[in-house]
Amino acid sequence: MSATVPVVHVVDDDTSFLTAMSRLLRANGFTVKTYSSAQAFLAQRDAEAPGCVLADLRMPEMNGLDLQSALAQTSNPLPILFLTGHGDIPTSVQAMRNGAEDFLEKRAPKEKLLDAVARALARDSREREARDRLVELRALFDTLTEREREVLAHVVQGRLNKQIAWDLGIHERTVKLHRTAITAKLKVRSVAELTHLTQEAGIFPELLQTFPKGQ
Amino acid sequence: MSLITVIWIMSASACLTLAAINFMVWFRNRKVWGNLFFCLLATGTAAFAFCELTMMRADSPARFAAVLRWGHVAVWVLVLSLVGFVRAYLGAGRPWLAWTVCGLRTLALVLNFLVGQNLNYLEVTRLRPTLFLGESVQIAEGVPNPFMLVGQLSFLVLIIFLVEATVTTWRRGDRHRAVAVGGTAVFFILFSILQSVFVFWGITRVPIVASLSLMGLVAVMGYELSGQTINASELGRKLQESEAGLHEIEERMRLAIEAAGFGVLVRDFNRDEMWASDKWRALFGFSGTERLDFEGVIKRVHPDDREALHSVLDRARSGYGVYDAEFRAVLPSGQVRWIGVRGRVEFDSAGKPAFARSVSHDITREKEAEEEGNRLRRQIAHVDRVSVMGQLASALAHEINQPLGAILRNAEAAELFMQDQSPDLDEVRAILADIRKDDQRAGNVIDRMRALLKRQDTDKRLVDVDELVAEVGALLRFDAAARHIKLEWEVADNLPQVFGDPVHLQQVLLNLIVNGMDALDGANPADRRVSVTAALNGSKTIEIAVSDSGRGIPADKLAHIFDPFFTTKTNGMGMGLPISRTIVEAHKGRLWAENKDDGGASFRFTLPIAEKVP
Repeated sequence: MSATVPVVHVVDDDTSFLTAMSRLLRANGFTVKTYSSAQAFLAQRDAEAPGCVLADLRMPEMNGLDLQSALAQTSNPLPILFLTGHGDIPTSVQAMRNGAEDFLEKRAPKEKLLDAVARALARDSREREARDRLVELRALFDTLTEREREVLAHVVQGRLNKQIAWDLGIHERTVKLHRTAITAKLKVRSVAELTHLTQEAGIFPELLQTFPKGQ
Repeated sequence: MSLITVIWIMSASACLTLAAINFMVWFRNRKVWGNLFFCLLATGTAAFAFCELTMMRADSPARFAAVLRWGHVAVWVLVLSLVGFVRAYLGAGRPWLAWTVCGLRTLALVLNFLVGQNLNYLEVTRLRPTLFLGESVQIAEGVPNPFMLVGQLSFLVLIIFLVEATVTTWRRGDRHRAVAVGGTAVFFILFSILQSVFVFWGITRVPIVASLSLMGLVAVMGYELSGQTINASELGRKLQESEAGLHEIEERMRLAIEAAGFGVLVRDFNRDEMWASDKWRALFGFSGTERLDFEGVIKRVHPDDREALHSVLDRARSGYGVYDAEFRAVLPSGQVRWIGVRGRVEFDSAGKPAFARSVSHDITREKEAEEEGNRLRRQIAHVDRVSVMGQLASALAHEINQPLGAILRNAEAAELFMQDQSPDLDEVRAILADIRKDDQRAGNVIDRMRALLKRQDTDKRLVDVDELVAEVGALLRFDAAARHIKLEWEVADNLPQVFGDPVHLQQVLLNLIVNGMDALDGANPADRRVSVTAALNGSKTIEIAVSDSGRGIPADKLAHIFDPFFTTKTNGMGMGLPISRTIVEAHKGRLWAENKDDGGASFRFTLPIAEKVP
C-alpha cells in the first residue's frame, strides 16, 4: 500500500532506442527511468517502489533472461516485459515460461505496447497487495503461542477436541481454552474461516492443500 | 534224429556259415588272404565232420574205407589252409616248415590213394558196433597202413610250425593274437591228432571225432576274425561319419558365402579352365551351364573399367599375389552393376601362376550411396552458404530493427508532444535529429548486406587480403558487439594479392570468425576476444589466422572437427569447417586448427599469392 507513483524502468543497451521509448512513455503519462544495462538497473532501482520493467532481451554481458531471474530473487519482483529487435521463438518461450508479462517486438504497435505496460503495472499492484496482505496475516499468526499453533494444526485438519486432547496429552477443557484464544487472536468466528485464513497465510502447507495462487 | 547226427550236422553247418561269411569278406577285399584261408579251413572241417558222421553210420568195411580215403582230401585242405592262415594272419612261421608240412601232407594224400584202402588202413577187415554218446556207432578194425606215419609226421611238423609261429608272435608283442590263434591251434590240433593216432593204431576203440576239436579251433579263430571285421566296419562307419562332417562343413561354408552374396570364381591357369559358383554366374549374368573363359568374363566388364582391372590382375599374376578391384559389370540384359572383387593367385613351384581364386559381390548400393553422398555434399556446400547468409541476414535484421524501432517510438512521441497546447519544440527538434541519425544507421546496415548479396556470383579474380578482411569485419561488427566480443584485426601492410573467389574466401573467414565467437559463449565477459591476423608466410603464401580466447578444442575432438556433420553446437550442421577446408584447398591452400599455448583455438589457412596478373 505504498503511496509512491509506479515507475516504468526501461533497460536497453541502445541509447537511441532508450531515449525514444522513454519519450513515448512519458508523453503517455508514465513515470519513466532508463538504464543502459541490466546491472545499472539492479544497482540503481528503488528496492521497494512499485512499477514494471521493459527490457531488451539481447544485451551484452547480462541479457534479458538473466535480468529476469535476478529480479525474481529479490523481495520486489517487478513484472517484466521483453523487447526484441528480432523475435526468436525459443527465447520467447523461455521468457514466458519464467513468468514474463509479455514479449514484444521493438516495432510493435504503440497501443499494444502501452496496453502491455498498463497491464504490467496493474499486475504489480495486485501482487504487491497480496504480498502486503500475506505479511499482515503472518504477523497475526505470529501472535499465537507454540501450544496454540499445535492445537491449530489439529483443528484445521478437522479433528475433535477429544482427539486433540488425547494426542497432545492435555485435558479436553484446556483444548477448548486454546481454541477460544486462537479465534480471539485471529479474529475469526468459525472453523471454516480459521481454515481458510490458515491456508491464505500459507501456514502448515504440508497439511493443507492450497490452490495455485495468482491464476 | 539222433544226438550225434544233430551235433555233427550243426557243427558242420556252423563251420560252413563261418566259411561263407569269410568268403564274402575276402571276396569284397581280395587282399585279406586270412579270411580266404579261414574259409577253406572251416570248409575242410565241415567236410571232415561229414566224413566222420558217414563213417560212424557205415554199413560195410569197404564203404568205411572209401569214406575215410576221401576224408583225407578234407584233411589235406584243412592242414594247408591252416598253414596259410597262420602265415597270412599272424605273419609268422618259418616258410621252410610251412613248405615241409604242405609237402608231407600232399605226399600223404598221394599215398592215401595209391597204397591200401586209404592212408590209415591197408584193409578194413570188419566193422564193430560200439556205444558212443548212448548210440551204437561203427568202428573199423583192420590192418594199419605203415605209410600212415607220413601223415603223422606232417602233423608233427605242423605242431612245430605252429609253436614256432606262436612264439614269434608272442615275442613280437602281439600276445593276444599269439594266444588266440597260435595257442588255440596248437591245442586243438594236438588234441585231434592224438585222438586219431590212438584210434588208428587200435589203442582206443572209439570213433574218430577229430572234427569236434577242429571245430573248436574254427570257432575261436572265427571269433578272432569277426572282431577284425567288426573293427573294420567300425572304421568304415567312422570314415562315413567324418565324410558326412566334411560335407556338412562344406555346406556351411557354401551357405555363408551364398548368404553374404559372394560369388566364387576359380581359374586354373594350367588347364585354362574356370569354375564359378551359381551366385557368381548370377552376378555376371552367365547361365548355369555356359562355359566360362577369361575373354568371355572380361567382355562383361564395362569397357571403361577393363584397363584398370587388367592392370590389377597383371600385377597379381606377376608375383604380387593378391588383387582387389571395383568395376562395373554390364549384363547381357544391359543392366549395369558395380562389382567388388578380392582374389588371390597361387603359384606353382616354378613361380608360374597356377590358380586364381576370387570372391565377388554386388556393391551397387554402396556405390550409389557414395555417389549420393557426394551429391549431397555439393548441395550442402550451397545450402551452407545460403544458411550463413541467412544467419547473417537475421543478425542484420536485428540491427535494422533497432534504429527502426527508435524511429517509430520517436515519431509516436513527437505526435503526442505536438498535440500539447504549447508543444516543447526543442524536444521535437531533438526527436527529429535522432530520427535522421537512426535512419542513417539503418541505411548503412542495408548497404552492407546488399553489397554482400550482390557479389555472390562473381568468379575468381585478384583479391586484396586487407579488403577481404575489412569487408568481413564490417559484416560481423554488429554481431560481435551484441555478443560483447572484441574483434581484433592485424593485417600486415602491403600484402600481395591472391587469386580467388572473394565470396568464397569471405565465407571461409566468416565461418572461422563466427566459430570463434561461438566458442566464447559462456566465457569470461572481461576477456572475450577474436583476433584475425594476415601476414606473409615465406615468399609465396599468405597465412590468415583466426584465434579466440575461448577454452580451445578438446584433444579428442581436434581430429574430427573437419569431418562433415561433426558439430558441438546444438543448432549447427557440422558443415562449416569441411566446406571451408574444401574452399581453401580449391584455392591451393591449406586449412588447419591448433590450440594456442595461452588457451583458445587458432584456425589458420594459407593462400598462394598471385604470381603475375593473368
